[in-house]
Amino acid sequence: MFDLLREQLLAPRYLGWLFDGWLVTVWASLWVIAAATVLGVLLAAARTGPVPALQRAGAAYVGLVRNTPLLVQLFFWYFGAPALLPEAAREWLFSGPVLLQWPFTLRWPSFEVLCAIVGLTLYATAYVGEDVRSGMRGVPASQRLAAQAMGFTPGQALRHVVLPQALRIALAPLFGQYMNIVKNTSLAMAVGLVELSYASRQVEAETFKTFQSFGIATLLYIATIAVLELAASRAARRWPPAGAH
Amino acid sequence: MHRQTFLFTALALAAGTLLSGTAWADRLDDIKKAGVLRVAAFDGNPPFGYIDATSKKQVGHDIDLAAAFAQSLGVKLELVPTNPANRIPLLASGKADVVFASFTITDERAKAVDFSTPYFLVGQQFLAKKGLLKDVAQIKDLRIGTEKGTTMESNLRQNYPDAKVVLYDDSPFALAALRNGNVQAITNDGVKLTAQWNQLPDKDKYEIPAISVSREYLGAAVPKGEAALLQALNGWLAKAESSGEALKIYNAWFGPDSRAPLPRLLKIGDQRVASN
Repeated sequence: MFDLLREQLLAPRYLGWLFDGWLVTVWASLWVIAAATVLGVLLAAARTGPVPALQRAGAAYVGLVRNTPLLVQLFFWYFGAPALLPEAAREWLFSGPVLLQWPFTLRWPSFEVLCAIVGLTLYATAYVGEDVRSGMRGVPASQRLAAQAMGFTPGQALRHVVLPQALRIALAPLFGQYMNIVKNTSLAMAVGLVELSYASRQVEAETFKTFQSFGIATLLYIATIAVLELAASRAARRWPPAGAH
Repeated sequence: MHRQTFLFTALALAAGTLLSGTAWADRLDDIKKAGVLRVAAFDGNPPFGYIDATSKKQVGHDIDLAAAFAQSLGVKLELVPTNPANRIPLLASGKADVVFASFTITDERAKAVDFSTPYFLVGQQFLAKKGLLKDVAQIKDLRIGTEKGTTMESNLRQNYPDAKVVLYDDSPFALAALRNGNVQAITNDGVKLTAQWNQLPDKDKYEIPAISVSREYLGAAVPKGEAALLQALNGWLAKAESSGEALKIYNAWFGPDSRAPLPRLLKIGDQRVASN
């Protein structure tokens, strides 16, 4: 009976593959979340700012990104975009050269990792940017006008008055986007990122234990998203929107 | 108890006689008497054996070999189309005398049939830019692409743990990555690579170097225990190699001027398979 059960379990080596894949998923998600948040705030600022050219460029960017599937975008960055570079630059980029030999070895990330992070960040930026913008629209216009009347420049008003309130309003949808980012990293396996979904497919192909490999991958995704949900509810308690005390 | 043992022995003897009934008569004699050699060959696996689109006839590398063997025996060739799963049953049921169907020699199969001297070597090979890959020692320094879910990756990782392997969803993606420069070489079995190479619009820039990191030997097979037939087959294979006939047939399907050029990795007789 126990032997039968043990036969059905995945060998530790394959659990190791899945764990390594999960670590890559977590790292990639963290990078994308950080980068997309910074870029998303800049995007929202451009779209709500006083410069018409920036407003239009921001709107065009959001339209372009949201109207194409993420998988196609990843293929574009991986297969399409490098074709525009000269041969030597491409070779340098693909070879993952060593940037720093001393005091520690620093390598340029492999093109698969780079491409996945850039592609996912550019995609997530559009969504994060729109959530931040909707948060900004939730801040009464009188706040910005009052700040400017007190001598704040438009930039200062944005940074010190509007954004802190907007981010509180946008907190819940932002965490929703972060959860999407975690799940979207699974698409990056198509361009060779060795993340959790990729690892689960490898384990399945080696062991033929379909239920176990995809089941464990599913549990790891659920656990990761659950941590984000916990963080979201704590953040919501800590930074409630203005007036919601 | 004595009676049971006796009964069992008698039954076993009877079954053995019935099952191997054909083995008592010599198959080679039967073939010569009938004037027909029945060969099981593929009808859907170019260029080993397939149906030619214009002539609607079964043609291919293995079929040419079978025809030459039949000629050496002075008998007519009768082809029995087969798929991979039917190869052993066709021999076991006596519906075919010999299998010529890119049959990989394995210990497991050698328990059910007798294999000839290997006549073909398929290996895990590489497709790369011309002149880039010249020696197996270079493999560890390359970025190599292949498909997910095949044995190619584990082979490579076991033998060349330092090589950087990138996996794609299927072989067309791997090919795109090679053409784009994302990887410097792609790996697969030689025959499949040749087919991919053949599709390339700029194929003169790429090559399949004569390097192989895993070996699968293909042999013809005869029913288990047909020693005379096997001997005739092996003798003919050796003669075909020394006379250049085997090379001529190889070149017709895999030679430099063929549609699927592939370096010839095996001279017949260089390798004997342990299980024989």
